[in-house]
Amino acid sequence: MSAVFTVSDLNHYVGEVLAADPVLSAVRVKGEISGFKKYPSGHLYFSLKDKESQVNCVAFRGNAIHFSFVPENGMAVVITARASLYDRDGRFQLVVYEMEKDGVGDLFAAFERLKAKLESEGLFDLHHKLTIPSLPHRIGVVTSPKGAVIQDIIHVLSRRFPNFDLLIYPSAVQGQSAALELKSGVEWFNRTDQVDVIIIARGGGSMEDLWCFNDESLARTIYKSHIPVISAVGHETDYTICDFVSDLRAPTPSAAAELVMPLKAELLSAINARTDRLTRALLHWVSIRKNKLMMLSRSRALLSPLRRVETQSQRLDMLTLKLTHSLNRRVDSTARRIDKDIASLDALSPLKVLSRGYSLATNPVTGKCITSVKQVTPGQPVQIQLADGLVHCKAEKTEAGRIL
Amino acid sequence: MKDTNEYEKLTFEEAMLELESVVGKLDSGEGTLDESISLFQKGVLLSKLCSARLEEIEQRVRILTDDGSGSKKEVPFTDSTASGGEKE
Repeated sequence: MSAVFTVSDLNHYVGEVLAADPVLSAVRVKGEISGFKKYPSGHLYFSLKDKESQVNCVAFRGNAIHFSFVPENGMAVVITARASLYDRDGRFQLVVYEMEKDGVGDLFAAFERLKAKLESEGLFDLHHKLTIPSLPHRIGVVTSPKGAVIQDIIHVLSRRFPNFDLLIYPSAVQGQSAALELKSGVEWFNRTDQVDVIIIARGGGSMEDLWCFNDESLARTIYKSHIPVISAVGHETDYTICDFVSDLRAPTPSAAAELVMPLKAELLSAINARTDRLTRALLHWVSIRKNKLMMLSRSRALLSPLRRVETQSQRLDMLTLKLTHSLNRRVDSTARRIDKDIASLDALSPLKVLSRGYSLATNPVTGKCITSVKQVTPGQPVQIQLADGLVHCKAEKTEAGRIL
Repeated sequence: MKDTNEYEKLTFEEAMLELESVVGKLDSGEGTLDESISLFQKGVLLSKLCSARLEEIEQRVRILTDDGSGSKKEVPFTDSTASGGEKE
């Protein structure tokens, strides 16, 4: 006879058997989630089912917080779990360690296939990339108008360049219609041509969430855009086709805002620096001339004409002196000659002649000298001048003919 | 080097480059007084133009909405526009 178990012992025993089984201690199971419940404790309770069967599952908080997504009813997932028996109810259950969405492997393969295809077509070629304008007058952004992403972008832009101009094309950024809406946004901006740059933005998420950014048609639209496109999808570690085909990849939406708009303060100081250099260059130009002028004014070239004038003026002084001397000499000699002449004149003076015994006869009426007998008629008064006085006479008779 | 009457068409980047070239030319110390004064005046003009380019951007944040006839119209973007029944 075999031993009789209590219920508790039985459940405990089955639990130990399950735990000891090498397959059941770490089994991967795929199915669809149903009856999902999250308890305040953080533990997750749900069933995993396929078309015929279902199994109870529990994910304790310590494991559940590491799941990359929030499970929902109807989700196809693959779990990694150990089998156990819930003692109290005698119920078989799976304790879940890890959970991933079913098909992630397929998505990843699809991503790699599309990436290789577009790359071989040259859609990622660097020479095709457009330059991001350094000062966009208007920025277009295709993103969800709700949530933190657009607020982050606005915040960063206003910090960098207070008077920025942003136009938002609202679009779904996950789900069925997202790829088409994102594509329409890029096309709309290209058609209306009123922005200088387009940012496609979305916050972080799972690969499925970001899947719309791996859309082939969206990629081709971005490639054809004549307006530069910045891709800012997910976190730094997330890569999408959109990142590869865009003209610039920003690690996050905030980073896109940093990249697209320059710091206004920096631009202003760059203008100031150039303006200062301009002023200094002009002053430099002037100072070069000033120095040159000073050098020239000291040089012989400028001094020599002056010196020639000085020399000439000195010569002039000398000449003047010489001239004065010679003039003086001439004046002196003239004066001496005049003295001599006066002396000779003196010698010729009639008074001197008179003093030698000669006398001068004059007509006292006319005062004229009498040089001829014809000037005298008998009885006429005649004045005779001697050296020391006059003799008043009366002519008795005249007699012509030389007497001496 | 461009004519001063071409300046109005210059973008910020172009005006900055032009200013740089004017400064470089003046900095060489060559040219006559008239040429240098004219370069300086061009530089001052470009500097003002650069500053003006920074200020001429209008501060606004707008969002496109359907105008009911299949095309889009711009409206100012506020937090209420964001939560006002737009798509996710």
